[in-house]
Amino acid sequence: MREDARAAALGALGGATPLRLHRLLAERSVGEAYAAVGSGSLGAEVAPVDVLAQWRRELGDMDLGTLSDRLDTTGALVSTLRDPTHPLQLVNDVDPAPLLFCCGALPDASLAHVAVIGTRRASSIGREVAREIGMGLAEAGVVVVSGLALGIDGEAHRGALLVDGAPPLAVVGSGVDVVYPKRHRELWAGVVAAGAVVSEAPLAARPEPWRFPARNRLIAAFSDLVVVVESRAAGGSLLTVEQALRRDVEVMSVPGSVRNRAAEGTNQLLVDGCAPARDVVDVLVALGLSQTSLAARRACADAHTAAESAVADRPGSPAPPAPDARSAVVLDAIDDGPTSMDEVVDRSGLGVLEVYAHVEELVANGLVVRDGARIRRHC
Amino acid sequence: MLASIPSSTLDGIDGAAVDVEVHVTNGLPAFTIVGLPDASCREARDRVRAAVESSDLSWPMQRITVNLAPTCVRKVGAGLDLPIGLGILAASEQIPLESLSDISAVGELGLDGSLRPVPGILPMVDVLKTDRVIVAAADAGVAALGAGDRVRPVRRLRDIVDVVSEGLPWPHVEPPRCDDEVADEPDLADVRGQASARRALEIAAAGGHHLLLIGPPGGGKTMLARRLPGLLPDLSPEAARLVTRVHSAAAIRLPGSGLVRRPPFRAPHHSASMAALVGGGSGRVLPGEISVATEGVLFLDELGEFAPSVLDGLRQPLEEGVVRVARSGGMREHPANVLLVAAMNPCPCGEGGSVSCRCGPSARMRYSRRISGPVLDRLDVMVHVDRPSPTALLEREPGEPSSAVAERVARVRELALGRGARTNASLTREQLEDSAPLDPDATDVLHSALSDGRLSARGAMRVRAVARTIRDLDDGGPTLRARDVYSAIGFRVRPPMGSFDA
Repeated sequence: MREDARAAALGALGGATPLRLHRLLAERSVGEAYAAVGSGSLGAEVAPVDVLAQWRRELGDMDLGTLSDRLDTTGALVSTLRDPTHPLQLVNDVDPAPLLFCCGALPDASLAHVAVIGTRRASSIGREVAREIGMGLAEAGVVVVSGLALGIDGEAHRGALLVDGAPPLAVVGSGVDVVYPKRHRELWAGVVAAGAVVSEAPLAARPEPWRFPARNRLIAAFSDLVVVVESRAAGGSLLTVEQALRRDVEVMSVPGSVRNRAAEGTNQLLVDGCAPARDVVDVLVALGLSQTSLAARRACADAHTAAESAVADRPGSPAPPAPDARSAVVLDAIDDGPTSMDEVVDRSGLGVLEVYAHVEELVANGLVVRDGARIRRHC
Repeated sequence: MLASIPSSTLDGIDGAAVDVEVHVTNGLPAFTIVGLPDASCREARDRVRAAVESSDLSWPMQRITVNLAPTCVRKVGAGLDLPIGLGILAASEQIPLESLSDISAVGELGLDGSLRPVPGILPMVDVLKTDRVIVAAADAGVAALGAGDRVRPVRRLRDIVDVVSEGLPWPHVEPPRCDDEVADEPDLADVRGQASARRALEIAAAGGHHLLLIGPPGGGKTMLARRLPGLLPDLSPEAARLVTRVHSAAAIRLPGSGLVRRPPFRAPHHSASMAALVGGGSGRVLPGEISVATEGVLFLDELGEFAPSVLDGLRQPLEEGVVRVARSGGMREHPANVLLVAAMNPCPCGEGGSVSCRCGPSARMRYSRRISGPVLDRLDVMVHVDRPSPTALLEREPGEPSSAVAERVARVRELALGRGARTNASLTREQLEDSAPLDPDATDVLHSALSDGRLSARGAMRVRAVARTIRDLDDGGPTLRARDVYSAIGFRVRPPMGSFDA
């Protein structure tokens, strides 16, 4: 009988919390643990008696063949505390994960790991920053750890996949064979191909809300540093921050506008004494991977522009022409923050149709971006 | 004795000629109506009897049979009361039979013998070819649009008897007072700020492009939409007649002069059913809101709250300008040449995009998905309507009045007529090639928008039509410049909240 299928079966037991699994697997191999649960020879030091009885029944009902098939079709690997393949960060953690499902190849534990996390309801600027930090970190050989959620998490990974850098690592709340959110199917596959998607949840586990705090603990456990890009005053990202502080992992926070509700939590973190992360250079400096010098910052910025234009450039499209005089007036009337069309009309003193034409031209040339109903300069 | 009076009934928005044959013979007193009358028509028995007796005339204590021919057409409404009454009076020899030759009649009788107006009088008198057409006094104005001076407006049944049996002249009926319709239309001068939305309204009115207004509650979407009819020119004589017919059939109050001269404005609530919007009903096919709004503006506020199936039902009529409603009783074709204006919030909480939005990404996604692509595809111009800034609100200077904008709109509409289309929006592909040539820069702009997927092939055609309108509004030059195309793309419909995760 296959070892990994037995491990998957143990993980799928009802009420198999990390703590109970840890007690079960700390002293036993998977085979021994499986036999012990099946024969009912365990004592109350592992789990309450009624839970053990329940486990015994469930294990009897479980079909190991189906589990093996599912592991094979997903390509998921299972590791436990005593396996040499089990991530080191989790073995030595204060709250260790005794069992882990993994799709893809786990990044080398010797690489620096940085979590880039934040709210699902991010502003477009927040998403952009997350993407840039993700890209910069991957480029610098840092593993981007995140949760593959909508908003900041997904963008960080998207950025990391834009360059051929360090492999990304995603820690998800659902089973590794349950893509959630569905919109991230492609991104999910991209992370599996370049790095790894891991989860503590058993196969086929739905993304139930209670799984996410435990997931956040793993993100903190994997990371040498946590960057919060945008977070509301209360949110899952702040749980990750707590977990990071418990492990003495440094937390950095991206400053946001005081009017931006999506930045309330991150700004509060700054007030509480977090180091600010203005861009990827700040993060690299904190990791000791870069010197805090203007030159480094400039070099990095140049590399970004190059990388971005490599992404943005479509074959055959000419270089954006410099805006002419009237376009420049319109561009002047557009803030770095979201600006409404009527404001631009007011400030420029030009006709509505003319402003619309110039704005559309500026958008087409990449100097201005649309932000929902508003527009802002591309920075 | 037998009497036969020509009359008519309403079939969709058209009249159908009906001969009311009345046979009075000796026998046990009885009164039967045959020939497919509906319930309101069958009730004529009691109304006519009371009206006859109230008019100092006598009810024949004989066997009365009324036949409504042709029997295959369903007879609806109370408009046949009057011809039935006259027929009974003639067949019972209380008025001379020959005096009714070449007289037709349509009208509902009150129990006191008075004559009441009926819905659909215009299409109904259209099919009456007799020398004299008797209608209720209140219907005189509208009926005259169809039958001219053949109309004989009458207040009471007794008056008719006096004319035909005593030889008195037809009574004189004061024409109803003409109230000025235009005075009711709200003016664009009341709108403060909203530069973009004003311009979008002007483009929509000038080119006949369907318009989508997106913005938070209280931004003024409804206020703007209500000002759109005021920008449109008066209806052409044919259009005015058509709209009046439809309104008459749909029992909508007509203006005092009878003729609807201004483009109608209809704003059905979002709970509207398919039958309410495109027309229908059981038995009788009534024109829907899209037909009532024909040649005018159909405003769908809270577009996202309409049932998706109902919205999809608008696709074909918007495309073809007519709506065909098929029922077991046959198919009716109603006009549906509307300028569609839709309004919606950017997201469920209404604040979409701004920093105070409380909606999660999936909630916003769901909201924007409520409207099917094909429906959004029909909307050529989109504009965001933000709440006006406090300074704009308190501005004392009124905005540009509707009359000034309407002048420009009328000029552009003339140009479209010269190109052989009703409006720029209805220019065919060939007509666009001829009348909206692109200069080299404009070709580049459109080409790059097409090649990087910002525009679909269909979208490019729509952009071209809108750009034509924009150029017409500017100086009417022959070719489209890059800036015209850029403006048109700027007003193009895109997902309300921008992209989420792209």
